[in-house]
Amino acid sequence: MIEVKNLTKRYGSNVALDHVSFSVEEGTILGFLGPNGAGKSTTMNIITGYLSASEGEVTVAGHSVLEEPTEVKKLIGYLPEIPPLYMDMTVKEYLDFMYELKKVTIPKEKHIKEICNLVKITDVYKRLIGNLSKGYKQRVGIAQALLGNPPVLILDEPTVGLDPKQIIEIRNLIKNLGRNHTVVLSSHILPEVQAVCERILVINKGVIVADGTPDKLSHDLSSDHRLIARIEGDEHEVLQNLRSVKNVIELHSFGEKEPGVFEYSIEGAPGKDLRRDLFACCTRCGMPLLALKSSDLSLEDVFLRLTSDTYVPRSVQRPAVIASGDEFHVEKGGDEA
Amino acid sequence: MIAIWKRELRSYFCSPIAYVFMGVVLFLFGMYYWQVVLMGSSYYIGQVYGVMFTWCMLFLPALTMKTFSEDRKNKTDQALITAPVSVTGIVWGKFLSAFSIYLFTMLITLIPAFVIGLFSDPSWASVFGNFLASLLYGAAIIAIGVFISSLTESQIVALVGTVGTSILLMLIDSLGAVFGNEIIETVVSWISFQARYTPFTNGIFNVSSVVFFLSVVAVFNFITARRLESRRWS
Repeated sequence: MIEVKNLTKRYGSNVALDHVSFSVEEGTILGFLGPNGAGKSTTMNIITGYLSASEGEVTVAGHSVLEEPTEVKKLIGYLPEIPPLYMDMTVKEYLDFMYELKKVTIPKEKHIKEICNLVKITDVYKRLIGNLSKGYKQRVGIAQALLGNPPVLILDEPTVGLDPKQIIEIRNLIKNLGRNHTVVLSSHILPEVQAVCERILVINKGVIVADGTPDKLSHDLSSDHRLIARIEGDEHEVLQNLRSVKNVIELHSFGEKEPGVFEYSIEGAPGKDLRRDLFACCTRCGMPLLALKSSDLSLEDVFLRLTSDTYVPRSVQRPAVIASGDEFHVEKGGDEA
Repeated sequence: MIAIWKRELRSYFCSPIAYVFMGVVLFLFGMYYWQVVLMGSSYYIGQVYGVMFTWCMLFLPALTMKTFSEDRKNKTDQALITAPVSVTGIVWGKFLSAFSIYLFTMLITLIPAFVIGLFSDPSWASVFGNFLASLLYGAAIIAIGVFISSLTESQIVALVGTVGTSILLMLIDSLGAVFGNEIIETVVSWISFQARYTPFTNGIFNVSSVVFFLSVVAVFNFITARRLESRRWS
């Protein structure tokens, strides 16, 4: 449905997007994830024809944005980062205006009423947009994007400024819309993308650093041979014993989690399953093993890893450090059971 | 284009801009009309419109200052540009809305002439000549103002820039005379709004002047559209 090829955008010497390519199938919900200033909004602005690319091309349903902008714009409903609302109009007047501007052909009264019900703005329908709260303004922005029932929806941070209840409502709304629309949404809130999107594109500094389903991303990046174990007993002793287990290459403690019980992260050599050896070691040494789980990275960790300055693609990266002596280093949070 | 024209027109009347503009212009018109035509018992309405030329050139920028700068500042231009309308349509919609306010104001200035027409026979050629000439230079300065508004995010800058341009256009005749060079004077008289405007006030219909003012409108609306396009590339 959307085809982006080698998209590059330069602002002077500053490169906002660097040869970005991806395509979106019809009927998928694509999440655009990245820290602020990564190039999410720029990409969306180029797809919708608000900005032009320095290089590369975008086609929507076979129409080039550059050559047939009007055709493309008819297919897209766009909610920019800041909803384009006229503060001196009421919601009704504004939606009427956008309806006319977009040359929508669906019967007006009924169509606008349906959209208002969908995004729940019926009760502020007659009020001045300038007087609405941020959450309502955001919803009017979404309503505007839905006008004309466009097959492609591009939503730039659609849940910003909404309260938790509204966020859930809007997420459900987007999920429902995804059944018969192609949706591209951007966000820097991870649970949101995780909850809504079928596919995630992580972008950082104008470059796509990851592409896949939420599960795939967190699986790909997590080391599949890292275990989190809770073992009762003296920390030093346990570490001493664990080090004797075959194939352990990294080991450290997360500290005391229950009285007398410490949590450890144990990483084995690639492709080696440590669980049996670990269990054997625990029984042999008389250390009660209270909990054992494999550590899949949460999407949060994936994101931080991908967008950190030091990120190196996994094929290159290989931690070779084996915990030595009694030096424990505690990894940054998120792994606590 | 019609949707934009309607919205802009609405916004003029939802804010005090339209009322203040019309109020001030009509008050000044009424005052000079009373002074020249009624008190002086003169039929020479061209003198009234002649003074209004200066005032309108100064007040019209108030109508155009927000056309594009406000949209850009509030990011509402994103809705306009990503909608399936051409940039040219957007520009003409904005231009026509400002022009409509001006046209409406000028139509009201015809009322006294019609009232007099009920009792006597004024020189209609002169009345309509003045009216038409006012519309022409007004349209030209509105197009220039809309263009200047598209250059900036600040309404104040747009206002001051357009008023400055108006003043320059009014002073250009005397500036040309300073040089005492025939070629410069000829060139200046091409550009001068005043020189194009004056024949109309005497009831003379000059096609080349009509073409001149309409060309100014077309050219400036064209470059405003190009300006909006070019912003996408920056």
